Amino acid sequence: MEKGRGMKLLETVGLTMSFGGLVALDDVDFSVGKGELRGIIGPNGAGKTTFFNVITGYLKPTKGKTLLDGEDISGLPPHTISQRGISRTFQITNIFPEMTVYESIWAGINSRTKQPWNPFVRADTIGDISRKAGEICELVGLSDKMNLVSENLSHGDQRVLEIAIALSTDPILLLLDEPTQGVSPKEIDNLLEVIEKVSQVTTTIMIEHDMNIALSLSGTITVFNEGRIIAGGSPSEISESEEVQEIYLGIG
Amino acid sequence: MELRDSSPKGGVIGGGIQGISKRIGSKLSLFIFFVVVIVLILIGPVLPPGLMSLVLEMMILSIFAMGYDILLGYTEQCSLGHSLFFGVGAYGIVLSVLHLNAGFWVALLIAVALSFTFAFLEGLISVRLSEAYFVIITALFFSIFYLLALSMTWLTGGDDGLSVEIPPVSLGFASFSIYNSLVNFYLVLFFLIATYIILARIVSSPLGRVFISIRENQERARFLGYNVFRYKLAAFILSAVFAGLSGALYAIRLRYGNADFFSFMWSVNPIVWSLLGGMGTLIGPCIGVVIMSLFQYYVSAWWSQYLVIVGVLIIVVLRVSPKGIVGYIKSKREEALSGEG
Amino acid sequence: MIPLETIYTFIFLLVDGFLWGLIIALIALGLSFIFGMMRIVNMAHGDIYMVGAVLSLYVLGWFGSFWLALLIVPLVIGLICIPTERFVLRPFEGRPAVTMIATVGIAFIIQQTVLATYGGIPKKMPDPWPMVINFLGVGYPGYRILIACISVVVLAGLWLFLFRTSYGILIRATIQDREMASAIGINDNRIRMTTFALGGVFAALGGVLAAPICQVFYLMGNDVILLCFIVVIVGGLGSLKGTLLASLVICTLEAAMTIVLKPIEARVAIFAVMILVLIFRPRGLFGR
Repeated sequence: MEKGRGMKLLETVGLTMSFGGLVALDDVDFSVGKGELRGIIGPNGAGKTTFFNVITGYLKPTKGKTLLDGEDISGLPPHTISQRGISRTFQITNIFPEMTVYESIWAGINSRTKQPWNPFVRADTIGDISRKAGEICELVGLSDKMNLVSENLSHGDQRVLEIAIALSTDPILLLLDEPTQGVSPKEIDNLLEVIEKVSQVTTTIMIEHDMNIALSLSGTITVFNEGRIIAGGSPSEISESEEVQEIYLGIG
Repeated sequence: MELRDSSPKGGVIGGGIQGISKRIGSKLSLFIFFVVVIVLILIGPVLPPGLMSLVLEMMILSIFAMGYDILLGYTEQCSLGHSLFFGVGAYGIVLSVLHLNAGFWVALLIAVALSFTFAFLEGLISVRLSEAYFVIITALFFSIFYLLALSMTWLTGGDDGLSVEIPPVSLGFASFSIYNSLVNFYLVLFFLIATYIILARIVSSPLGRVFISIRENQERARFLGYNVFRYKLAAFILSAVFAGLSGALYAIRLRYGNADFFSFMWSVNPIVWSLLGGMGTLIGPCIGVVIMSLFQYYVSAWWSQYLVIVGVLIIVVLRVSPKGIVGYIKSKREEALSGEG
Repeated sequence: MIPLETIYTFIFLLVDGFLWGLIIALIALGLSFIFGMMRIVNMAHGDIYMVGAVLSLYVLGWFGSFWLALLIVPLVIGLICIPTERFVLRPFEGRPAVTMIATVGIAFIIQQTVLATYGGIPKKMPDPWPMVINFLGVGYPGYRILIACISVVVLAGLWLFLFRTSYGILIRATIQDREMASAIGINDNRIRMTTFALGGVFAALGGVLAAPICQVFYLMGNDVILLCFIVVIVGGLGSLKGTLLASLVICTLEAAMTIVLKPIEARVAIFAVMILVLIFRPRGLFGR
């Protein structure tokens, strides 16, 4: 169903996640190619976030496996998977409240250095990291807010920061979980610009609740429902699909 | 340690980034630290015995407090069991001198090494647990040691403890008797300075930043690729080592060690110090130490129930500024600074 | 063959331990409530227990009746807890660590006030029911049987309240899921006050019950509070049945061990067992 451009960067085979009696993911075969901007849509409870949780190691799948660039990463802990190159944002803003924008991004970049736990140098003086932090801030448009404390940012800016932090680890795959959640119409355009810019740099999978946004941004779309993938294809194919429209009937 | 925008080391970026060190106010802290150290160096010879004992106590406990701040203030792990390491440090020195006939430095080294070892072993078990579970398991551990210390009187002397004759401090070129109060004073001062320098450097280093990230949002840090358990364990061991050092110095000062070193009081005190003075600031808990020590020294003379005042003080301080005294000062400063800008 | 006497001694130890477990269960349940509601570790809980014991001594002295003390002391303390929560703890709402330390402050105040008024000398309370109940040909102290009966009645009453009344169900719901409860409009503040007061009542009740069998001393709370924390944690946070079960098992087990170990050693042993439990069940026995 999906046409992957280029090599498969991420692939799941028969991924299943059940909690007691509840099956959140049901035999999911998914793949995304390098350079794609893949949108994932589906009604609430369809298993989209659970999918992210399993891929990133937050949950251990009941069955099936996940392959990153051909390597099996199933069952690895979150920090290891992050080190392998998968980075994510969260549906509910998950930033470092009392750290500044700069410090937050600094933390991400630092995690990729050879000795992130170095107790001997002064963090300030690592020029490499501060340069990269500046670059990321410029990319997402937060350069003039670098010294602001995270919790004082507007919600829209916090969502942008969320993405910036995920980017700071130089990932090969970026997972965005409903990035536009709760963002005011004023700030949404800016956020979408950022997502577009970001997706040109990194392979991106984006869960999006708003159909319009998903259709306009993504190159390819995957549709989840009740833990299964029920459709996939180009935005026009999906928006014309009767199956998909049925699922969304009654849902805003 | 300069402001980015005034010193383009390692590349200039836009309008300048507030250096991390400025953010943690270390310029002011360092200044205060230097002043305090110089004052201490100077007043050593002229302190009357009563005051000297007080200052000595404050210095030794500040070492404990700063180490504990790394745990509570920087990685938000509230251990209710650090009296274990305080006691291990004390008995480490006392027992090495008594049974192994160890010299001063060797005994001290053993005390610190023992603290390190116990912290490593306990940490492997305890650090994995979260919040309240962590608090209780650390309490369980220290309680076991306290009870054992009380009952195994053949080893520990129980409540009465073991008196010991501290060997002289040899510095290669000369030997100094610890019974000379000046020697004791400058020795402790040396360790205090060393502790501050080590911990201040750690806090402003990448390691310190990771600690802070873990405190701010543990999950997020994990998803950034940090093995959070290892870092929390490192903080645990670090804090324990300094607790052990201060326990050893305290035993040296008292010339004995007893089961009380393991008691609940020494587990609760660090928390109270941190709270009064301000967690996550290194010098905050030292201020807590100073306040509590002054209280104990002066107020307890005329009202033995001075702890009531401490209790009230705790509640009042928390109401006014949950970040303790240092937090209060910092926020006043920020207000003033942003008012000008 | 084990001599009959030893068997009897062992059974007595077990029963004593079990009784103590009932008292601890009462106190620990109070702690568990408070933790479940406010997510704070109430460091003053042991001192509320102590005040219950001390006050009962005073009531006995003034009115001559232990039974009166049993009735009014817990109620009085519960009433005192209400303004305490409102004015001392409420301002710290939402910050568990800070609230916890505030309770440390309260603990200091309570302990030292008692020291100043009641004094530092442990006193013994006379046996309120110096009867010996003959059971299976062996005599057993009547008062202790009374403790068992009273505790069971109170626990049964608590169960009825929590599982059979609407207010009780509300409380359980709030303990299980705080966010959900406030989302469906449960009056948070009133419930906070009630549960804190309830927690205090139980601690005080435990104190009154314990007074005749312990030395009433201004520091008696410290010992008890550690045990209560352990019981709540090992039972599993948020699980009332876990707390109950853990109290009974731990206290009985510890008492049983004193047949071969000294009391201090038995305590060390039980603590070690608790650590083992936490290693294999990092969230306690029934914790979420």
